Amino acid sequence: MFAVEAKNLKKTFKTKQGDVEAVKDVSFQVNQGEIFGILGPNGAGKSTTILMLTTLLRITSGSGKIQGLDVATQDKDVRKKIGVALQDTGIDNLLTGRELFYTTARLWGFSKEDADKRSEELLNLVGIPDAADRRVKTYSGGMKRRLDLGLSLVHKPEVLFLDEPTTGLDPGSRRVLWDEIKRLRNAGVTILLTTQYLEEADELADRISIIDEGLVVAEGSPDELKEMVGGDVITFTLDSEENVIKAQSLIEGSEIENNDLRVTVNNGAKMIPPLLTTLTENNLEVVSASANKPTLDDVFLQVTGYRLEGAEEPDENMLEEVSG
Amino acid sequence: MDNKISASFFLQLGILTKRLILRVIRRPLAELPNIFISAFFLFVYDGALGGVFGGSAAGTPFDFAKGNFVNFILPVSIVSASVSGGASGVYLVEDIESGVFKRYQGMPISKWAIILAPILVGGLRVLIQAGLILTIGVIIGANPAAGTLGYFAVLGIAFLWGMGFAGYSVAAGVRSGSSQGAQAASFLFFPALFLAPTFTPRYALKGWLQTAASYNPTTYVIEAMRAIMIDGWVTDLITKGVLFSGGFALLTLTFAVVSAKKATEKA
Repeated sequence: MFAVEAKNLKKTFKTKQGDVEAVKDVSFQVNQGEIFGILGPNGAGKSTTILMLTTLLRITSGSGKIQGLDVATQDKDVRKKIGVALQDTGIDNLLTGRELFYTTARLWGFSKEDADKRSEELLNLVGIPDAADRRVKTYSGGMKRRLDLGLSLVHKPEVLFLDEPTTGLDPGSRRVLWDEIKRLRNAGVTILLTTQYLEEADELADRISIIDEGLVVAEGSPDELKEMVGGDVITFTLDSEENVIKAQSLIEGSEIENNDLRVTVNNGAKMIPPLLTTLTENNLEVVSASANKPTLDDVFLQVTGYRLEGAEEPDENMLEEVSG
Repeated sequence: MDNKISASFFLQLGILTKRLILRVIRRPLAELPNIFISAFFLFVYDGALGGVFGGSAAGTPFDFAKGNFVNFILPVSIVSASVSGGASGVYLVEDIESGVFKRYQGMPISKWAIILAPILVGGLRVLIQAGLILTIGVIIGANPAAGTLGYFAVLGIAFLWGMGFAGYSVAAGVRSGSSQGAQAASFLFFPALFLAPTFTPRYALKGWLQTAASYNPTTYVIEAMRAIMIDGWVTDLITKGVLFSGGFALLTLTFAVVSAKKATEKA
């Protein structure tokens, strides 16, 4: 049995401007105990997919299952199996961290004594025991995210949904949260996370589904996806923008990126010298040349035709607001 | 440690209500304006009109306060204080705007508990604010003809009336999804309070206002409280007050529940 199963999920929002297909056709399976990443730019349909799988949004067509339970017809049972930390789930800033854990535990049906114990455990787990009795409004962004993660764990869920868990965090806080997410996976929790950060998907996910414009465009482990691109990526830096354009016309399959020339080849070490010769013979001055294994960004470029980093897409949260 | 996965409805309601009470307690300044305005009305109306319609009106046709104008005007301030229940919708809207509402939707919590908790807190605020105004009234000379039980009767009617505003506020809040929408209850305040026998008995109002007042449920609430304060247990007036305030509460609570049902349905 898969921990999560999405089958031809589709979501259409009705807006004043007409119907908008936020999710066109998304299918994937998440194995028990793995971290599964959904990678894509804003507006790709990641959050909408998560909302449907967590019972918070009606599915237009297709189906979703959590631990074998149908999210549309068994939503109450599904909620008991899952923990959810959405981008826009809120935390009551006027309460303390301890009060929030205690209140959440009581709402999940813990006795007063057990709610106290669970609060203490989680305060330690997410690393905020010293701030336990401070109001949340005094917490840093990183502390709030860790608290949010902790709140989604109160009832010991089997499957955890994290929607862009580190968006807006500084690198240090992001690293702390990554370590906690890995620790949870090692403890047996299945995690489905969305991210628009390539590094995050690479670091955390056992398998990744790349989503673009509401469709799954690639799926596999980070290594499998990189192998799909094949070979190495050679990057040439030239002395002027004009020469980069000239160089592109000389090397078949090359692309210009950030004023550098990039070309994917089977063997980078072997191919640098002849390509370098071609450029210098044409009086183009090469400042530097390097060969690297493909990154997830290269994968993204290959499957979508554009790079994820710096991609400007409509904000899907805005879309949801419009659809109301 | 084995949790039952979800708490009972009443436990959920209790936990959510306690949480909102903590929020109210931690923002005490937000409570002050309404108490201040209600107390201000009491002092100013008594100061401005008490001289004419108080003890010196004895033996004249204007002796409707029967010598104690504080008894006559106190219900107006209490009704004004009971509008504080109108802030209830704001609690819910704050939760919607902050995403706390969405968190609760993802948990096995009754949506009725989520909706009723702010209404209940609104009712409690009304009791406290109306109680404070009543205390001030007693200090400056109010003395209910119905005796000590009269205080509780006045508070009970104020509670029902305030719950009515709370229900309206919650409905407006969930329908509009904005704090402004939730505060719309306060716009009802002026017509509700002043198209009524606020400063004189109904019979002394001009024709058009007398007609308007007869259609305004506030009229019956104020008249019931005045009966308790001035004349004692006047059954028909008190019954009307309870029926109108209870009916208003029932109506707006139903409106809130229907609105909330619509708002909590999945998109």
